[in-house]
Amino acid sequence: MTDAVLMPERVRRIDVSVPVFVLLALGLGVLVILPLFWLVWYSVHEDAGGFTLGNFVQLVTDDTMLRAYGIAIAMAAGVGVLSCLLATPLAWLVARTDLPGRRAIRALVTASFVTPPFLGAIAWELLAAPNSGIINVLYRTLFGLPRSDSLFNIYTFPGLVFVIGCFTYPFVFTLVANAFDRVPGDLEDASAILGGRAATTLWRVTLPLVLPSMLAGTLIAVLQALTMFGSPAILALPAGFHVITTKIWSLFQFPPQLGLAAAAAMPLLVITVLLLRGQKAILGRRGYTVLGGKSGAPRIVALGAWRWPAFAFALFVLCLTVIFPYLALLKTALVPNAGDALTPSTITLSHFHFVLFDFSATRLALYNTFVLGFLSATTVAVVAMIVAYIATRKLVRGAGILGMLATAPVAIPGIVLGVGLFLSYANPTFQLYGTIWILLIAFVTIELPAGYQQISSAFHGVHPELEEASRILGASRLKTLWLITSPMLRTSVVAAWCFVFVGTIRELSATILLTTANTKLVSVIIYDLNESGDMGAICVLGLILLVVSFLVVFAVNRMPVLGGGGSVSTTRG
Amino acid sequence: MSFLELDGLVKAYGALTVVKGVDLAVDRGTLVCLLGPSGCGKTTTLRLIAGFANASGGEVRVGGEVVSSASRNVPPEDRNMSMIFQSYALWPHMTVFQNVAYGLKLRRLPATEIKERVGRILESTHLGPLAGRYPSELSGGQQQRVSLARALVVEPQILLLDEPLSNLDANLREEMRFEIRRLHDQFRYTTVYVTHDQSEAMTTADLIVVMNAGRIEQCGTPEDIYERPETEFVARFIGGTNILKGRSDGSDTVVCADGVVLRCGSGRVSPGGETAVSIRHHDIRIGTTPPAGDGSNQASGVVERQIYLGSHRDYLVKLSGGERVRAVAPVNVAIPVGQQVWLHFPPEHCRALTH
Ligand SMILES: Nc1ncnc2c1ncn2[C@@H]1O[C@H](COP(=O)(O)OP(=O)(O)O)[C@@H](O)[C@H]1O
Ligand SMILES: [Mg+2]
Repeated sequence: MTDAVLMPERVRRIDVSVPVFVLLALGLGVLVILPLFWLVWYSVHEDAGGFTLGNFVQLVTDDTMLRAYGIAIAMAAGVGVLSCLLATPLAWLVARTDLPGRRAIRALVTASFVTPPFLGAIAWELLAAPNSGIINVLYRTLFGLPRSDSLFNIYTFPGLVFVIGCFTYPFVFTLVANAFDRVPGDLEDASAILGGRAATTLWRVTLPLVLPSMLAGTLIAVLQALTMFGSPAILALPAGFHVITTKIWSLFQFPPQLGLAAAAAMPLLVITVLLLRGQKAILGRRGYTVLGGKSGAPRIVALGAWRWPAFAFALFVLCLTVIFPYLALLKTALVPNAGDALTPSTITLSHFHFVLFDFSATRLALYNTFVLGFLSATTVAVVAMIVAYIATRKLVRGAGILGMLATAPVAIPGIVLGVGLFLSYANPTFQLYGTIWILLIAFVTIELPAGYQQISSAFHGVHPELEEASRILGASRLKTLWLITSPMLRTSVVAAWCFVFVGTIRELSATILLTTANTKLVSVIIYDLNESGDMGAICVLGLILLVVSFLVVFAVNRMPVLGGGGSVSTTRG
Repeated sequence: MSFLELDGLVKAYGALTVVKGVDLAVDRGTLVCLLGPSGCGKTTTLRLIAGFANASGGEVRVGGEVVSSASRNVPPEDRNMSMIFQSYALWPHMTVFQNVAYGLKLRRLPATEIKERVGRILESTHLGPLAGRYPSELSGGQQQRVSLARALVVEPQILLLDEPLSNLDANLREEMRFEIRRLHDQFRYTTVYVTHDQSEAMTTADLIVVMNAGRIEQCGTPEDIYERPETEFVARFIGGTNILKGRSDGSDTVVCADGVVLRCGSGRVSPGGETAVSIRHHDIRIGTTPPAGDGSNQASGVVERQIYLGSHRDYLVKLSGGERVRAVAPVNVAIPVGQQVWLHFPPEHCRALTH
């Protein structure tokens, strides 16, 4: 036997986990608690500083506030129902039938997640504005009708519900399609053996099994609609009505009524918490899950004569939500004026030239947007990684608190956070208003929960023994993190980074309250240009956002799995 | 002085104390098995030795130097130990070669030496041709070998194994037991091996330490443990046994409740107190006629169950006092269920246990 190879002597390390923990806990605490604190404080104080419940009294007595809440809730409910009606049949068709092209359809629906909702709203303006909307123009030309006639008017309450629904139904779709994937064929066979016809089986066995996912998805769609700023601002304001988010925004216009805005944000916060709890309760009940292992692949239903009608339905949904809107954006980006027809003689790149070279505001906005996207994604990824490491490995007592703090912002809607951050940081002490740092804080707060969730579940997938094996062989904790843990987490961290990036560059709800002339972002510029009616430039900007988002998502999906065919699943026992 | 010493080692999680004062001395080069039922604190003890958990009380000393105590914990990376985990813990993003070379790289050995040492250990563990594979491309047994090779190649002062075979199927498990023993005989590392499987402990260990509920019940060679258990728990846990309870008058004789008198060839009786007598299944003679003698070390009963097992028959006999006794007899001793039988408990196989 050879001589033992001893470890080289090393300097005593000091344990940094406690200071890091304290710093993070303080940082996250400030991030989450400060805006909420000021929100509450402003809501119960007069401008002069005295305590008052006046804001809340005004909230429940002011007709315009109540109307805004009422319309927002009705709109959200409408969006929920519409999303469910679009998503459920489509999910069943792509998951459980021999629908032609179901893979591509699924990919396209999932891709429409990437479309920023405000861009969808603008696309539908282009398509169905009463006068200039492409569909209405075609309709009039086709039937030789006067200018006053229109087939659709998107500037209406139903129009608003429709447009938002078009871009929230993927939430329901994804959850329900996954649930359909998981319903084991055995359960359906059992019903078939007992004499259930295919339709009966679908109705009595399969649907009840996916019902929780349907409800949970619908709640998310409702929540999205309720807290959305962009689409209502684009469609409801011209139509002459407010929803609650636009109403809160209007309270920031001159003369600002910050106390009332804070009070108005409060119910939104409560509703969000309740909806998320509801969703968790529905998904958390384990009774319905059918994860029980080897139950066989799901059975595929042959549609027979219904194949093509079903395909037509899927195509119709895709046309409304992806194909028409994208084509409208593309067409408008390429013609001199929004109303012009696209012909070889009219085609022009002038809008591209304008956006990319002539108009300094858009160049600044593009720069700001991508820099902020990069910074937010990087910050979230780093913070989420450290928090997830400390929390999952329980390095310090009370580490769970970090996880809770990192997840808490999920319950704060963007516009509410915007109000809170404005109230916290716009005062002279911080001098953050008007800088991109306040936007960075907002984006990090908004995106941290999703990033944390993703990275922490990846940490849970790395068996602690993999780290211990490295330590007992002589690697310090940091070295182990670097040599063993990070390579195994790389895919998840990069994915989380990309999703935060994509989420950031489309954010509008918080941004609209925190942005100033020097810190314009693409989303805000699009909104501004929409007011001034410069559709060509909007479409160019929108297309840039879309292309960048798709490239990033594509890159994530293409990422090679962990070095050379290894997989994290070798951790057993 | 022994090489590895545990001295009054205690580990508590909040109010729950899971290791309750363990004393153990392991000489250099011996293989010690911690054997006990699941949940008795074996893994925790091992993790205390490795430094993954901080001791709540007592000490761990290596070569006389304290590495763990309530106030001091040398981090695992500075202990020069190796550990083999239940999950093997092979790093999925590294090849077999990279997994095994990891510890040597940390020790900053020159590349040529790393190559040579890894090559040698891969030969020893019959992994040579698999050096370029990733763990996911290996069978369970091969993964186990890689994890052995990775732990051995750094020539640790102490090797720790936590139920290393529990994820293997039965055939492979048997083979790997001998493999571990062979490698131990080749390299002679001071080894602590945790298992809940008594036959695994019997085949591999120099010394078996039986643990129960956070304490050591008995410590000895496999033969000691099997032949001379000191407590009822050890007698039952190792090999299985019948326990008859009674009182002793201070001599080597124990009088059981229903008048059965057992003279014990070994063990200790507690004078005037409760004493248990252990007698292994295959040491009992079963017959249809009363054995000759003075009436001691025998009892009558009725066959309640008889199972034919090819090499022998397994009897369950209900004594007149109500206790049930299991006895193993050759196949030619065939007694039907319900028949009256006589059991003979040879004194040399009766072991008195005080608790
Ligand atoms: N981190 C921990 N926190 C609380 N209790 C623990 C922890 N680790 C182990 N235990 C408890 O300690 C006892 C002994 O566990 P362990 O040492 O793993 O047993 P064994 O390896 O002998 O099966 C068990 O009851 C277990 O629940
Ligand atoms: Mg264990």
